[in-house]
Amino acid sequence: MSRVIRAAVFQTAWTGDKESMIQVHEQAVRDAAAQGAQVLCFQELFYGPYFCQVQDSAFYEYAEQIPDGPIVKRFQALAKEHGIVLVLPMYEEEQPGVLYNTAAVIDADGSYLGKYRKTHIPQVKGFWEKFYFRPGRSDWPVFDTKAGRIGVYICYDRHFPEGWRALGLAGAEIVFNPSATSRGLSAYLWQLEQPAAAVANEYFVGAINRVGVEELGDNDFYGTSYFVDPEAQFVGEVASDKETELLVRDLDMAKLREVRDRWQFYRDRAPGAYTPLTTP
Amino acid sequence: MTTALEPVLSVRQVLTLDRVLAGEPEVVAGAGHLDRPVRWVHVAEAADVGVMLSGGEMVLTTGVLLAGDEEKQVEYIRSLYRAEAAAVVLGLGRAFPAPPDVMRRAAERCGLPMVVLHRPFPFAELTEEVQSRLVRRKFATVSLSESVRTALTGLITAGAPLQRLLDEIALHAGCPVVLANLAHRVLATAGERSAVDDVLRDWERIARQAGVGEGDRWVRAELGGRGEHWGRIVLCGYRGDSPIGRLLAERAAEALVLHRMLGGAAHSWEEQSAQSLLTDLALGVVPPRQLLPRARAAGLPVNRRTFVPLVIRDGDPVALDRVLRLLGLPGLVAELGDGATAVLLSLARDQDAAALAAYFATRLRTESEAGAPVVAAADACTAWEGVPAGLREARHVADAVAEHTAALDLPVVVRLKDVRLRGLVRLLRDNPHVQSFAERELDGLLCGPDAEPDLLAVLRTYLATGRNKSRTAQLHHVSRPALYRRLEAIQVRLGVDLDDFEQAASVHIALLAHDTQHR
Repeated sequence: MSRVIRAAVFQTAWTGDKESMIQVHEQAVRDAAAQGAQVLCFQELFYGPYFCQVQDSAFYEYAEQIPDGPIVKRFQALAKEHGIVLVLPMYEEEQPGVLYNTAAVIDADGSYLGKYRKTHIPQVKGFWEKFYFRPGRSDWPVFDTKAGRIGVYICYDRHFPEGWRALGLAGAEIVFNPSATSRGLSAYLWQLEQPAAAVANEYFVGAINRVGVEELGDNDFYGTSYFVDPEAQFVGEVASDKETELLVRDLDMAKLREVRDRWQFYRDRAPGAYTPLTTP
Repeated sequence: MTTALEPVLSVRQVLTLDRVLAGEPEVVAGAGHLDRPVRWVHVAEAADVGVMLSGGEMVLTTGVLLAGDEEKQVEYIRSLYRAEAAAVVLGLGRAFPAPPDVMRRAAERCGLPMVVLHRPFPFAELTEEVQSRLVRRKFATVSLSESVRTALTGLITAGAPLQRLLDEIALHAGCPVVLANLAHRVLATAGERSAVDDVLRDWERIARQAGVGEGDRWVRAELGGRGEHWGRIVLCGYRGDSPIGRLLAERAAEALVLHRMLGGAAHSWEEQSAQSLLTDLALGVVPPRQLLPRARAAGLPVNRRTFVPLVIRDGDPVALDRVLRLLGLPGLVAELGDGATAVLLSLARDQDAAALAAYFATRLRTESEAGAPVVAAADACTAWEGVPAGLREARHVADAVAEHTAALDLPVVVRLKDVRLRGLVRLLRDNPHVQSFAERELDGLLCGPDAEPDLLAVLRTYLATGRNKSRTAQLHHVSRPALYRRLEAIQVRLGVDLDDFEQAASVHIALLAHDTQHR
């Protein structure tokens, strides 16, 4: 009997205030747990608007301590109550003026497992992220959760194959890619890059994107969150491009083994030949 | 949408014409490129022939200006190649008694088909033959395009449903036709049933490949308008010429876009698709096994699943679909008419079907803006064959419970056991004995010049609450003495004693039967 991980992702629209946004996500935890989901990942900067459409220091107040801030504590309690692993993409304040785009990982017993800080920070129209975030140097953590071995690669990171590979080398079975990305900019990449990463690194990917147009700009966030397997096949249907949606999917780890037995990418890679890639 | 189609013959087809065969053609170079389309036939001797061409021409020459000059011969071939000529045909004779090796090698390098005629004939005969064929094909194509467009436009203006349009397209295509959304969910199909089923059986895999390779006989056209892309239409295994297939697919796509734009937003194609599937399932006319490929292609997980048939009263199908998405529950939603909407949930085998149905119903109450819809369910089934009976049972329960929902203390998900006598009466509602029994028992309240509908409502509540007077008074916003007066009036008119169990039961059954007739 192969191991099946029931995994979930949640996409939603900005409600207009932080507290109701948190409540919507708390309900999503309950909804996912009702279906027996073992792990759930939210969208990038889940409890706020995508404020990087503008450059305004007022939004610094969305940042919290990880793990000592109130939101992590709140979701630790919820994770424990429902026995579900949570991946929380948040705005992190390490200390005043040192801010990161981070995902905290909470185990099913409510314990804090660690965090990943977004490595690649964009600075293009509508995505002024360098204004808000310092690049993370997290050494590609993979979290040994009750649900399985989980990695996180946030939004713009996904355009860089190196991180996907590092997470694979560290043993990730599922990599979540929480995002906030808009139709005009990236729609042609959305169903190309993550499936390609799933194939190249032979693991499952859960891709999450928020929905709707927010008051801060014209970005049309197009949802269409999905899970994709190591053969680049979507697991079930892709989510709506406009509606709030919870996706709960059974990911069969036998598929991961089957594909790795067929293609020996990890055996045949040649790290000694890649020195130019790490030369600054 | 563009129609960049030219009615064409291939080089290979030209070479098999009787007139050409009589000239004993021999392909001496570019034999791997004989399927190139020939758009026109052109006679040219000049060395710089390329400047006169616009691509796709089969160029005929005697080589009279090229003989003896190998450089010119090579340049002639290169010039044709640069101009994207379809092929060159050299009539052997005075200039070239045998195939010129230099030209042959140059053509081979360029991948340009080179044909020599061992028994040349006047080129005019060939140009006339080929060009009349090309013109006939072009005329036939335009004529086909027009007739398809006229037929489809006629259907649209007559208000034909989507299925009728697809049937017409399948008639012209002679192969299964599939309409799918961007998520590859099949929204509608047309064509011979068994061929369609073959396509749907493996839809998810082949859908992603359709139209990718040449010659796969899957012809696809994209659907969209006003800056949005909605889906695609696919002719599956089209057996005719591929340009004609593309033309048909494009005409079909145009018509479908028009149909969608004119059709308004009453029911999306997704809704229509689910409706047709669940209606077919519930009616039981088509064996459920035959509907399985359609269900799978419509995005419903069907392998190793537990199915939960639900029917919701007074629920908005769009809102129901939204709640399913919100909860991450895989399922199909379809309006059945008469205020009833079917929801077929598909759950993993290890999930608790009853608990999740209750969870769904509870969330539906909190998410519904207009009251609390009644959620009726049949028992979950692991066999797909059990779904039709389940849908019918859920519908029956929903109908049986349709009245008195305020008075009845119903669970969040209502099942057959909860509707008890009400369910039985509903099953018997068409029986004339039951109908006349109801009329007879209630005659005093229903007939006469002073019939009072209010008394009937009070009686209904009184019996539904198990003859609970304070609850009835509360539900009708009247004082207890006022209720007593009304109950007394009811007893007088009906000539019964409602404190007598059998008489009260008789009136109750009559009232249930009466109500089932008036829904």
